Amino acid sequence: MAIAKSLSRVAAVIGIGESDYVGDHARVRAGERPHDSYGYAAIAFNKALKDAGIERDDIDGLIVGPTIAYERMGELLGINPTWGSQADAMLSVIEACMAIQTGMAEVVALVYGNDQRSAAIQYGGPEAMGGNMFLSYIYHAPWGFTSQGALYAMMFQRFMALTGCTEAQLGEVAVAQRLHASLNPHALMKKLITIEDYMASRYICEPLHLFDYCLINDGGVALIITSSDYAKRNAKKKPVLIHGVGRYDANKGATSLEPRLLDFYRPAQERCAEQVFNMAGLGPKDIDAVQIYDSFSCHVPLALEGYGYCATGDVGRFMAEEGISLKGKLPVNTGGGHLSETYMQGWNHQVEAVRQVRGEGGGRQVENCRFVHYNSDVAGKAVSIIYGS
Amino acid sequence: MANSQAVISLYDEPMWESIRAHDWKLQQCDDCSEFRYPPAANCPHCLSMDYHWKPLKGRGTILSWVIYHRQYFDNFPPPYNVVAVQLDEGPIVMSNLVGPEPEGNWVGLKVEICYGEDVAIGTVPKMRLIQQSA
Repeated sequence: MAIAKSLSRVAAVIGIGESDYVGDHARVRAGERPHDSYGYAAIAFNKALKDAGIERDDIDGLIVGPTIAYERMGELLGINPTWGSQADAMLSVIEACMAIQTGMAEVVALVYGNDQRSAAIQYGGPEAMGGNMFLSYIYHAPWGFTSQGALYAMMFQRFMALTGCTEAQLGEVAVAQRLHASLNPHALMKKLITIEDYMASRYICEPLHLFDYCLINDGGVALIITSSDYAKRNAKKKPVLIHGVGRYDANKGATSLEPRLLDFYRPAQERCAEQVFNMAGLGPKDIDAVQIYDSFSCHVPLALEGYGYCATGDVGRFMAEEGISLKGKLPVNTGGGHLSETYMQGWNHQVEAVRQVRGEGGGRQVENCRFVHYNSDVAGKAVSIIYGS
Repeated sequence: MANSQAVISLYDEPMWESIRAHDWKLQQCDDCSEFRYPPAANCPHCLSMDYHWKPLKGRGTILSWVIYHRQYFDNFPPPYNVVAVQLDEGPIVMSNLVGPEPEGNWVGLKVEICYGEDVAIGTVPKMRLIQQSA
């Protein structure tokens, strides 16, 4: 496989913005609908511009998230770009780097908004979201097999049976991320929990407990990504460079869950890891904090093994003994992640990575944080990004 | 809430017809002999468009299992199980294990296809444990 190296340090994040997760969630729970998806996105975009110290008219590239329509978002933000796209959080960062590298655009706005809570979006059952994109989300309904959580429950049950990893060890993820959320003013769930609380919580789809599932809430996120040169000349704050990106998709047998059940996505993560670490000229030992897409807690142990942060078959012990919280060896999901901060489908992880590299983590800041590795394996699409100073 | 429904593409209909006849068939590639699931126009293994419908021998091995404690469909009140079974022919299917549930680890247990009736879908293939011979 050819290792792409040409995107390293080509682009940098110079602006981040988020809606008010905590305030909006309280309003939604009180029965209000504060904004629609476009409204949340516009709030985040305004904040990101201000954070970057640039003007709207400086933007010449636009990427919108999958939950909003590209043209309408561009219309509402008043942007006629030279290049545009629609993509999820992780691919939009990679696409922005590619657009900048090829000269299609120089200052790219990445914009996401989602009113999933107030609009009562369902991720399981008869109206399960995403079935048009992922056949596995709906194909097994005749056997009552629905909700993305169940797909991961099926995967992790087998992982436990084959490796000896336990439910209590998986609980380390929810406990660590809740600790991080308690130190994050933007996080929705700040009440600390223990392994005992985790084990006592109800099952949703056994072996996964309530605390293994992500939140469902409204919000918006925006990032401004530009060329390293433009960033040096114009950014208000220290630019956060994108040192490496990687991707490898496990599509074969996806609807039958073959990449999940037979491989635990491992070959995809290993190929992706090879690319991202080679591009950045770094390895797992150089990484100060890890962000992992955690729609469900079990993404975390699978990724820690897949990306080489611990030995194969050792992740249960690694999480329990060496630790994945700010107090442990390898801080993971330092903002609280999807489980405890906000479910912005990977977008909030990019913001947290930038904050940590900037040193803006406040009470949850990782000391001397130089490199943050983000990765995700949504439906077998392994994607990695390394942010650094 | 509502009942669960099957996804019926052009290629699913013959499969469900075979299920209603209690003789579950999948497409087997005429060129490379691989079975495919879910049904589709082409063979994902060799891309051939030529296939025939072949009855399954009816046996497989449990790869994993889950127990639902939350209700998502009217026709599936919890608790209920879902098993992932690798058929002897190769494909992995999701199903429900009927009869007494095993204690402890289900991975590796041998199962055979049987048929159940669902209020919404009609005949649905299920799995039951094969008695382990001494």
